[in-house]
Amino acid sequence: MKLERYLDILSKSIWVFLCNSGSCNGCDIEIVASLTPRYDIERFGMKLVGTPRHADVLLVTGPVTKFMASKLKRIYAQMPDPKVVIAVGNCAASGDVFYKSYNLEGPVDNVIPVDVYVHGCPPRPEAIIEGAVKAILKLEKMKEELKKAGAPK
Amino acid sequence: MWTKVFSGFGYWDVYSWIIFFFIASGLVLWIRSMGRSDYKKGTEQDEIFYGANAVPEDGSEIQVPASSAYWGFVEALKGYYEKLAEMHSGLTNDYVGYMVVVAAVLVVLVLL
Repeated sequence: MKLERYLDILSKSIWVFLCNSGSCNGCDIEIVASLTPRYDIERFGMKLVGTPRHADVLLVTGPVTKFMASKLKRIYAQMPDPKVVIAVGNCAASGDVFYKSYNLEGPVDNVIPVDVYVHGCPPRPEAIIEGAVKAILKLEKMKEELKKAGAPK
Repeated sequence: MWTKVFSGFGYWDVYSWIIFFFIASGLVLWIRSMGRSDYKKGTEQDEIFYGANAVPEDGSEIQVPASSAYWGFVEALKGYYEKLAEMHSGLTNDYVGYMVVVAAVLVVLVLL
């Protein structure tokens, strides 16, 4: 079966946990914009959840400040497997103009593994939604691998 | 006698309630079984999410207790509440003693 077909038979809609690890809030506003009636990703059942324990996807915005590094690691560790991380925005992907700041641990992939990068300053909601779709495909692949490895359903 | 109990507010059918209890328990267990069970027990996935912070041993310094909502009420009736708190010793003997005393007073009042 083609991987794209999995989109039709997802066992559940993906739930997303958002972590601002030092963003200026520009990306966060665009993420919230993707929930508004114009884009309305909640119609697919995709929603922001209040705890990583319920999340399949971790959205991270901003470069990771020294203060947030341990917290981001803990959030990642508390998410159940399989999990996917999306770095939203230039800062999360590369550190952007803050790259050499004294107060940064660096871009997100210096702290936790990142699966999907969404560039832009800030990225448009369409780009964030495309990132989420790529995350779904990756998530389904991971689920298949876990299933093959004999993980409980 | 067992099947119907007259409560003063209508009849309570014992068997109906037992059946209801089993149906409700079944529903609860079914909803519980729908939850995710694939998280790794004994790892951080199993821990309380405390706003991404480590769960504190003693959270009294960073928590605002719910009792703050009625702090003024308690402060105004301090004398009364202090007496009540003293009486709540946590010893069953004391509570049974209060019950016996109150029952005795009520019996005296009712009989006289």
